[in-house]
Amino acid sequence: MMNREMIQIDTDVLIIGAGASGMWTAKHLKELSPSLEVMVVDKSASDWGGLMTMSEGDFDAVPPTENVDDWVKDLVYYWDGLCDQELMTTLFSTSYDRLCDYETMNCAYTRNEDGSFKGIPQRGLDHFKLSITEVKGNGGENMRDSLNGEMKRLGVKRQGRVMITDLLKANGRIVGAVGFHTRTGAYYRFSANAVVIATGRAGWKSSYGKNTSTGEGLLLAYNAGAALTNMEFVEVWNVPKLFSWEGQTVLLPLGAKFVNAEGESFMDRYSPILKGNTDPHYTTMAMALEVKAGRGPIYFDTTDIKDEDRKFVQPEGGWQLLNHEKLKNIGIDFFKGRTEWQPQILSDFGGIVADAYGRTAVDGLYAVGRARFLDAGVYIGGFDLSTTATTGYLAAEGIFDYLQQDLAPFSQEAFEQEALQKLEQLEAANAQEGIPYKGVLRQIQELVFPYSVSILKSEAALQAALASLKQIQAELLPQMMANDPHYLMKCKEVEAIATMTEIYLRAAIERKETRGGHYREDYPQRDDDNWLGWLYISKDGEDMQCKFVPVPLAQYPHAVERYYQDNFEFPSVSE
Amino acid sequence: MISAINKEKCIGCGICVERCPLDALRIDTDGKAFIAYPEDCMTCFLCERYCPKGAIFVHPFKEILPPVYPIA
Repeated sequence: MMNREMIQIDTDVLIIGAGASGMWTAKHLKELSPSLEVMVVDKSASDWGGLMTMSEGDFDAVPPTENVDDWVKDLVYYWDGLCDQELMTTLFSTSYDRLCDYETMNCAYTRNEDGSFKGIPQRGLDHFKLSITEVKGNGGENMRDSLNGEMKRLGVKRQGRVMITDLLKANGRIVGAVGFHTRTGAYYRFSANAVVIATGRAGWKSSYGKNTSTGEGLLLAYNAGAALTNMEFVEVWNVPKLFSWEGQTVLLPLGAKFVNAEGESFMDRYSPILKGNTDPHYTTMAMALEVKAGRGPIYFDTTDIKDEDRKFVQPEGGWQLLNHEKLKNIGIDFFKGRTEWQPQILSDFGGIVADAYGRTAVDGLYAVGRARFLDAGVYIGGFDLSTTATTGYLAAEGIFDYLQQDLAPFSQEAFEQEALQKLEQLEAANAQEGIPYKGVLRQIQELVFPYSVSILKSEAALQAALASLKQIQAELLPQMMANDPHYLMKCKEVEAIATMTEIYLRAAIERKETRGGHYREDYPQRDDDNWLGWLYISKDGEDMQCKFVPVPLAQYPHAVERYYQDNFEFPSVSE
Repeated sequence: MISAINKEKCIGCGICVERCPLDALRIDTDGKAFIAYPEDCMTCFLCERYCPKGAIFVHPFKEILPPVYPIA
């Protein structure tokens, strides 16, 4: 029997994750209907703001003087055809309004003399530009504070330090969720007619200010019957070897470059047209190839940034200024010379399959922001802060419409039985003895981080990693120790990381071609005849089902005529 | 990663405990903050920045992770 306090909370809408996308959903729901009860829960502090807090505050918005179609064509090109054109058209049609909303909330963006927003071109694309905040170093914190203010003004209820472990379904639809307090251990039972997954991506705790995002939101949706897609694409970032640094997106167009041990700007060789100002996934492929060829280590060289441009990139506040000053104190001046960098796998690009209004395949379950699928294996600065706002805002409209319908009735008894069953399973996970979670996490990191599994992939390396993972899942996961609520949270995170790792490996094995950030050494060519489409991964009993969904080109306005990957000449591709 | 909390400077206000996104800090039986779960720090600096007494020091170097490149 369970021996902990049980707290029951009844709400109309439960939002899991108090970052940008969750707060945008809550904000617009309350704007649409002030009488709706909206509760936002987060496993961290209720107002910490998620990864937006750590960001620069860059934002992609299509200005009124430009055409949304042109920006969507950029994405079709950049994502090598894997673009949901209807979805992106809907999202970016609302992007300028959301940027203006941030300005209304006192988040100022840098403007040109004519009053338009200053835009920094992105990764050699024709139209995509990001807007930059006026304050350098804590733009994301300003946005968080503004949205926190909106939560208070609009009467959104919030609960911090509660981790959701299971969704509750009755009569075929989502009716709530259960979880626990990560400090007191108290169990929580929520009843809600709609639940929103706003938990961010499935990450691997790569210590880049992003260790909170561990995929349990995707696991909740997957277990409830929603599909995941784009899971074969992982975000591999190029990062300083020893410390963290945010802002290469802006530094590269201003003259910073990656060089090998011989001082060569090697991207000039791999991509004579785009050179270094390209997507980091292509850069990390090149970094791995350079190291493999014996020309490592790799450095980031900032010496070519002009003095007059430095004012756009020099941290002026927040953690980035503190970090910069601390590094200078130990003899590392980021803007004077070069620092050693390496690829680092951060998170899976994939997410929950949902439409523009956040609707998943499960009634009452919505997905927003980085927890839902959007981008395909390459990175654009400012994309996430833009799409967390646009998807959150539009999901609120989808949920509002859903709640106007006659929802299928269910019995309170069925709800309570479902909750009790889930909480008894959670109770059983409170193992007083066993092995620390950190060692299990480390073993998962060791199998997925090597470049043969994350960057220059091959069937043999992926299969070997999957076999190791299956062993960890069978032998180590059940033995993890959760002798206090904090460690119970960490164990639940590692369980999600393990399942998301399995989904990543299976999807990466399945896609037998090279496209975007997914590079297969054993299939180095793009294969449009067989692979211009998405892999949908869903749960089928205890098995994973993998379904191929072709890009519906006949329904889309833009043909797939250009491919960003054609800008690169990697050795195994040209051999 | 977080390396130290100065017990003499700490006034036990609990701001760092409330702010830590990774839940790595706690108040000890002596009423002062301590690093309860050091292995969970992600080097975000939030605790040091919000500490009103300058009692916390976070080293800018992050956790050393398993290798991406093969070990020579």
